[in-house]
Amino acid sequence: MSDREMEEMKKLAKEALPPMRDAELARDLWPAMLERLSTQRRGMPWWDWVLLAGASAGIWFAPGVIPALLYHL
Amino acid sequence: MYKHPYLRAYLAGIAIPTAFLLAIMTAYTIDRYVYDMPVPIERVIVFPMAAVPNAWGLWNLIFVAFLQKRHFPLGLFGGALPLLLVPGGYLVARLLNFTIPPVAFQVVPIGLPIALIVYYLVWKYFVGFLNAELGIA
Repeated sequence: MSDREMEEMKKLAKEALPPMRDAELARDLWPAMLERLSTQRRGMPWWDWVLLAGASAGIWFAPGVIPALLYHL
Repeated sequence: MYKHPYLRAYLAGIAIPTAFLLAIMTAYTIDRYVYDMPVPIERVIVFPMAAVPNAWGLWNLIFVAFLQKRHFPLGLFGGALPLLLVPGGYLVARLLNFTIPPVAFQVVPIGLPIALIVYYLVWKYFVGFLNAELGIA
């Protein structure tokens, strides 16, 4: 590629990608990010813990279900 | 990132059983060939190897395609999958002339509720996590 073609390519690239204007954020995004992070940390509700405990107890008292569970999982 | 949502739903669905299959296959192989378990598991291993992961993928695809927009809980939908897989597994075993150990029928009243609970929790938390990570939740 010659120098003239290179310059032409640079010119075309600059025309295709104009410089950004008003690049500053309109508002602070960090509080919304913190709110979202705190929302995601809710964890398991109590009824899911009850179900998990029930399933664990069932497997503990009837280990014969383990092969059947493995077959279907 | 927003292309091919159904492909991503399928991949998110098959990820859990496919990874878990490694543990299942290891346990079955050790039981069968190390401890000489007298049950020819290899005759029906096609069900957990092929049918179950694909069923998970298709189940998640159906959820994303039809139920997610209606805010149907993923855990409840995934928890219903054993209601198809249990009869399916039984059917495959019968078609392949696999002698089901009698103890398997005795544990059904306990095993089915446990399977429903395990599926509910796995789908709610693990598949839900993967769906969120892949941008389809």
